[in-house]
Amino acid sequence: MHILDGALSLPVLLGASTLAVAGIAKGARELDLQRIPAAGLLSAVFFVASLVHVPIGPSSLHLIMNGLAGLILGWVAFPALFIGLLLQAVLFGFGGLTVLGVNTLNIALPAVIVFYLCRRGVAGPNATLAAVWGATAGALAIALTALGVAAVLALSGEAFIPAAKLVVIGHVPVMLVEGLLCAAAVTLIRRVRPDLLGVMSRSASASASARATAGADSRAPHSSPVQPPSEQPAPVFSEQPARLTR
Amino acid sequence: MSHLGDPSAPLLGAGDRTHPARGPIQTLDPRARILAVIGFAGVVILLDQPVALGVALALALTVAALARLPLRRTLRQLAAMDAFVLLMLLMLPFTTPGHALFALGPLTASAEGLRLAVDIALTANAILLMLLALVGELDPVVIGHALHRLRMPTVLVQLLQFTVRYVGLIDAELDRMRIAMRARGFVPGTNWHTYRSLGYALGMLLVRSLERAERVLCAMKCRGFSGRFPVLDTLHFRRIDAGLAALTMLALTGLLLLEWRLG
Amino acid sequence: MRPRFQGPLFTLRGIQFDYPGCGPVLRGVDLALAPGQRLALTGSNGAGKSTLLWLMLGLLTPSRGEIVAFGKPRRVEADFTEVRRRAGLLFQDPDDQLFCPTVLEDCAFGPLSLGWSRAEAIAAADHTLEQLGLGHLRGRVTHQLSGGEKRLVSLATVLCMRPEVLLLDEPTNALDEHTRARLLAILDALPQAMLIVSHDRAFRERLASDEHQLRDGRIAPLAHPL
Repeated sequence: MHILDGALSLPVLLGASTLAVAGIAKGARELDLQRIPAAGLLSAVFFVASLVHVPIGPSSLHLIMNGLAGLILGWVAFPALFIGLLLQAVLFGFGGLTVLGVNTLNIALPAVIVFYLCRRGVAGPNATLAAVWGATAGALAIALTALGVAAVLALSGEAFIPAAKLVVIGHVPVMLVEGLLCAAAVTLIRRVRPDLLGVMSRSASASASARATAGADSRAPHSSPVQPPSEQPAPVFSEQPARLTR
Repeated sequence: MSHLGDPSAPLLGAGDRTHPARGPIQTLDPRARILAVIGFAGVVILLDQPVALGVALALALTVAALARLPLRRTLRQLAAMDAFVLLMLLMLPFTTPGHALFALGPLTASAEGLRLAVDIALTANAILLMLLALVGELDPVVIGHALHRLRMPTVLVQLLQFTVRYVGLIDAELDRMRIAMRARGFVPGTNWHTYRSLGYALGMLLVRSLERAERVLCAMKCRGFSGRFPVLDTLHFRRIDAGLAALTMLALTGLLLLEWRLG
Repeated sequence: MRPRFQGPLFTLRGIQFDYPGCGPVLRGVDLALAPGQRLALTGSNGAGKSTLLWLMLGLLTPSRGEIVAFGKPRRVEADFTEVRRRAGLLFQDPDDQLFCPTVLEDCAFGPLSLGWSRAEAIAAADHTLEQLGLGHLRGRVTHQLSGGEKRLVSLATVLCMRPEVLLLDEPTNALDEHTRARLLAILDALPQAMLIVSHDRAFRERLASDEHQLRDGRIAPLAHPL
């Protein structure tokens, strides 16, 4: 859910925008030049994901997938998701211009919180438990986003409180769907390239570049080694081998 | 390979964005247009008087007409947004305390609430319309160039450029996956199989994109990448752009004066 | 162009490489590329042909073996900076190679990274594009090019850096007849030594003077040399 221009009071707008700028700056500092291509591509992935309609009952909903973004990007979620929101606003008119900061904060801050709470869980040795953590990450990020939207509305005036409550209730199905999707995505990534979880936010800036220079050489810190394309688990997506470098 | 397909179908920079200028707005410098819309949005959110907001919306409509925005697409974009807030706007008159205007069953609508709803609707539509008119028709690549010249931090400009470069490719990749799924009898529905399959598709998309990023980085190294991203653009700030700046300042001052006189 | 190097451009001795979990891909490759030589390299899918090209530019690191390029042994990342400047790799997927927003920016990226001035870089880019008959694509946005155009522009971005050697990874992959013929004519007219990885037999026979096969992780003698 995006907030629109004109709905928020000026202090709320300025306060949230300041926090968003701080988050973007913190994320941008983690981006050395070696990791900008990866961050750019991930930003594009989440932009594309946000345009996907997912059926739910008789209706459908747009994905946000900020939980998954947080698990992989950490603080880089701030600049990456900001770019996505900027493009959506400018090119499609989704969301507003003056509320760009507020929307970034509401979507990226939950991603960062989820990163700190769930990254160990999704990397753990037990696959089922990891999927549960993945679901938690996906659902929690949406819940926090809904609460964030509700909070900025409620802070902007008492008249908005009923609307704020509606936002929270309306996001319950989204929470469920995104939780399931995130669990599935985590399961797949663990099987195919477990080293990618949190790849953008390792303090060791070598991680992305080391793998690039050494193929799959930097061994995953977790259990399973990288598997050849022929042994990949998801038969649904078999048109291209995941690894084209051979 | 999918990119052998129709190149005019990318997600961003849809075909018509590559066309040369069609209206007077399209001849203006992108930087001037971006600054103008930021200034406009900054002023419009300060306005409270419905009349001032109405004038702002009229201004946006005029610019949109000058930009020859495609009517159908623009209306669709505005409608998508308005459906989004419609609910909230309908609620506002009933949730805002104030002078009773009319009653609907147990609910009483207040004049203050109605005015707040009208304010928000006018503000949101005016800003969105101005945004689409001045910036929406620009190619995203040019937006990147302009933001670079406007001193947006380099990291963000590079991030934007990589996103713009690869978003179409990733979208096509996801499309191919979904076609492959449908070809094997997949029907999306509200069930675990659907969510798991879509989750797998997104996970796979992430894996493939990160692997592509590794190859892109290698391609950069092959061309002597030393940490410098050159930006070559063809932006020229001309007299007509100064004219736009002056006109914008005039219009914004006018709006603020109107607000102040009415308030 | 700087005076051409006279000894072998590349000498690979006993190169071994493995992807973790996949077992060894290369088990001791010996290969030499002489100035002016156009060497074709064949082998089944997954034989390690692309891996070999990546190893030659230091984009992957061999687990064992020696790479000598332009007369010097090359071991660490810093050694390969010069190699990458003098040997141009045409990637299998042009979308990996073309990462800049516009064609001109992509072509100028290499020269600018080498420290050329802006004017020199643009001149080199324009010159190369004109040479390849791609001048009209100069201002185009990269992701809107057709597959064939992307391939030719990829080649232009490599040639802008005036390399002494070209490493071509499946250059005719997914090209239509017309573009394939055009690419062949362009490459055939170039003076550079080339290492050509290709499944396209007719293409190899037109372009290459020698042919090696990569089999079971080693260079195998050909049953029927060209």
